[in-house]
Amino acid sequence: MEIDYKSLGFKAGLEIHQQLAGKKLFCHCSTLNSDQKQDVTFERALRAVAGEQGDIDIAARHEMEKSKRYRYVGDSQDTCLIEYDETPPEPMNHDALETGIIVALLLNASIVDEIQVMRKTVVDGSNVSGFQRTALIARNGFVETSLGKVAIPTICLEEEACQKLDDTEGILTYKLDRLGIPLLEIATDASLNNPEHAKETASIIGMVLRSLPGIKRGLGTIRQDVNVSISQGARTEIKGFQDLRSIPKIIDFEIQRQLDEIKKGRKAHKEVRKAEPDFTTSFLRPLPGAARLYPETDVLPVTVNKKQIDDKRKNLPKLLTERISDIEKKYHLHAELARELVEHEHFDKLVTKFAHIEPAIIAHTLIEVPKEIKARFKLDPTILSYHDFEETLSYLEKKKISKETIIDILIKKIRKEKINLEEYKAVSEEDLEVAIKVLIAQKPDLSAGAYMGLLMEKYRGKVDGKKIMEMVRKYVK
Amino acid sequence: MFKLSLEFIFCMEPKPGDVVEVETGTEIISGILMPRPEILASDIIVIKLENGYNIGIAKENIQQMRFKEPYQQKKERKEISPPNPNLETVSLLSFGGTISSKVDYRTGGTYADYTAEDFVAMMPELKEIANIHPKKIAALMSEDMEPTDWQLMAKHVVEELNKKEIKGVVVTQGTDTLHFSTAALSFFLKDLHKPVIFTAAQRSIDRGSSDAFMNLVCAINAAAKSDIAEVMTCMHGTTDDDYCLLIRGTKVRKMHTSRRDAFRPINELPFGKIWMNGTIEIINNNYRKRSDGKTTLDVAFEKKTALVYIYPGMDPEIIDFYAAKNYKGIILAATALGHVPTVKGTFSLIPYIERARKKNIVLAITSQTLYGKVHPFVYTNLRKLSITHDVVFLEDMLPETAYIKLGWILGKETDPVKIRTLLLTNIAGELNKRLDDKSFLY
Repeated sequence: MEIDYKSLGFKAGLEIHQQLAGKKLFCHCSTLNSDQKQDVTFERALRAVAGEQGDIDIAARHEMEKSKRYRYVGDSQDTCLIEYDETPPEPMNHDALETGIIVALLLNASIVDEIQVMRKTVVDGSNVSGFQRTALIARNGFVETSLGKVAIPTICLEEEACQKLDDTEGILTYKLDRLGIPLLEIATDASLNNPEHAKETASIIGMVLRSLPGIKRGLGTIRQDVNVSISQGARTEIKGFQDLRSIPKIIDFEIQRQLDEIKKGRKAHKEVRKAEPDFTTSFLRPLPGAARLYPETDVLPVTVNKKQIDDKRKNLPKLLTERISDIEKKYHLHAELARELVEHEHFDKLVTKFAHIEPAIIAHTLIEVPKEIKARFKLDPTILSYHDFEETLSYLEKKKISKETIIDILIKKIRKEKINLEEYKAVSEEDLEVAIKVLIAQKPDLSAGAYMGLLMEKYRGKVDGKKIMEMVRKYVK
Repeated sequence: MFKLSLEFIFCMEPKPGDVVEVETGTEIISGILMPRPEILASDIIVIKLENGYNIGIAKENIQQMRFKEPYQQKKERKEISPPNPNLETVSLLSFGGTISSKVDYRTGGTYADYTAEDFVAMMPELKEIANIHPKKIAALMSEDMEPTDWQLMAKHVVEELNKKEIKGVVVTQGTDTLHFSTAALSFFLKDLHKPVIFTAAQRSIDRGSSDAFMNLVCAINAAAKSDIAEVMTCMHGTTDDDYCLLIRGTKVRKMHTSRRDAFRPINELPFGKIWMNGTIEIINNNYRKRSDGKTTLDVAFEKKTALVYIYPGMDPEIIDFYAAKNYKGIILAATALGHVPTVKGTFSLIPYIERARKKNIVLAITSQTLYGKVHPFVYTNLRKLSITHDVVFLEDMLPETAYIKLGWILGKETDPVKIRTLLLTNIAGELNKRLDDKSFLY
């Protein structure tokens, strides 16, 4: 069924959460989020308390009424008393703030003059303190999309919450290691035209984020929340998208759910819902209001130096999209390969190291060869390390192997087999010429193609196929 | 004054709390004008935006600020419910501290504003444990407390204790000097016949994770139900929200700057553990039992009492300083078994101790190791102090407790023999004849 989003009064906005690398936001623990050992464990209760304006936030009250207890487990190497809410926070991590500011500038936002750290009441236990430290660092940004500009009213730098492990018998268990990792929250306004537009905008913002070195990569390091509403429904926040591609489908399902509720004459409520693997959503909690924010009194506000901002604005890193077209032009690669290469951690390094190897061959080795290994040989190429690629390319550079045998070497690496370079020893033109003459004498009157076949059987990987054909043609017309 | 307030009404200069519109060169920002802590740069104003976030705007970027709506102060309702005849009655006296804290816009930090009445309003479950008589006595941060505050505190506690319907008294105050207050009341309250429970918080009560909630529930339970007629603390036993420890007021010490389980018993086991449901597990039954008597006050305190920390390289003239100011007694927090520097010329304390003793200033030794006893005879230098110079070795007494006890004794005694005897007489559990192995790092 085709949905007419405009006539439904469709409104949607995005919240993108991106983890930053380095140290945590308010302590000196690293953002490893490792799983080594769980040698810390404690149990706490949380209460809803009044915010700065004296109101108790409804989302906070909802959680309190469930009167849960919370168990926290963690690795003592990745966590300290700050995560346990046993000692006050350190000043805001300067590197994280710097990354945040650069992202904000790339998103055309203006940095606030003085950054105020707030406590956002969160009493689902995911923050040990009962609040998440968060600061509005930039406002009024935008991104260009195929359907015009999408406004980004707010960019916040905040603490990541704990990871939920288990929820049984009235005790929720959380893993502490993730708590306090710097998290950038980028929020668009509700002007997204349709679900596909939401997906496109999310992917553009994701591209901008991946253009920076200071961000975390990998599963779970970026999350998208979508706010959706239709005229007669209510605003719903859907959390926990794992994959951008699922955004349109989940939004459509949510619209259908709201339409069904309206049809049944039920009043829709403002709420937070969780994106499920089957594209439906489930109720998480009521949508929180402004009452949940009050000042973090343990951290001084951060004054932003105007001159430094101007300097940063002049020296912004290139966006991934620009770098892709740079690679395309510089190395004469096709766009698809360039796109895959730009985020490949080894490419630049290997191109610099092996100046005598054509970059196209390095690109092929990093991108296409692993794909072929996976498709044809059913092996897992992800276990290949930088060192494996470096070693293989060094053989090529020293002419110990030909480019056709790169795949053989990498396969041996995966299978952990011994590599005997003798097998790949190149055959000199003189030797080849002798071999051709001998072959023709032994088996006269065959076609060029037939000789070629026989020779390739013997010399695959040792001599370039083109070279053999050239020489065969000298003797066989 | 009248003129000033008239001006205030007619001039629409926005005040903190008012809704305003701020016009910068590029946009109009509306929100609530927030108070600016005095100690922070004054060239910034802070606005709370509609989304709840505060941002600072540089005054140089502001073209105009317009007043929109006046500050709407929240009226807090305090319900007074009739007492439950099936429950015991407990007094709850508040003196400030982190447990009472909320944001202070003058400093940007927190200050003590919530009172005993607020605790009851914020925690309806307290009324299910006991009928509570809440009363705010002071709003001090504990580092600002003085001996006169302990005297005031004792006076209010005794007044409550001697009311027939009151089963016990809970006192809340700041944690930093909590162990000074409990030591003071341990000596100031004579013939104690009901529990006096001190509780506090390491995380302010305006946050969901505050330890105040469990501490208060356990303290009210202990005051209403326990048979321990002692001055004691009731604070988290572990980092978990699990149970509190009841620790003797003369044997408790804050052993961590910020952890919720910072209060530990030193050189003695705690009286017991108490859970939020009121269950008490007694660990050490060496306590005075609840009785029908009457508690009296004995609050005299000599202010000219000092506590001096001994360290290598210290300037011994500090002793002369106190002597010149007519101090009556000095507690030395000495090293380990009770040493002070004695040999090397410039740093030796001996000549200073000699002079102070000649002026009849009482000198007594405690240990900065806190755990263990000081000993007057193990080393020659210790003998020199104790025998030659008549410095009193205070066994396992904590330095802070010793300071309070000496001030209290000097408040009423002048006879050196009596002072010495009283110092070494166990009055409020401050001295232990035997040290339990399990009391170390409990």
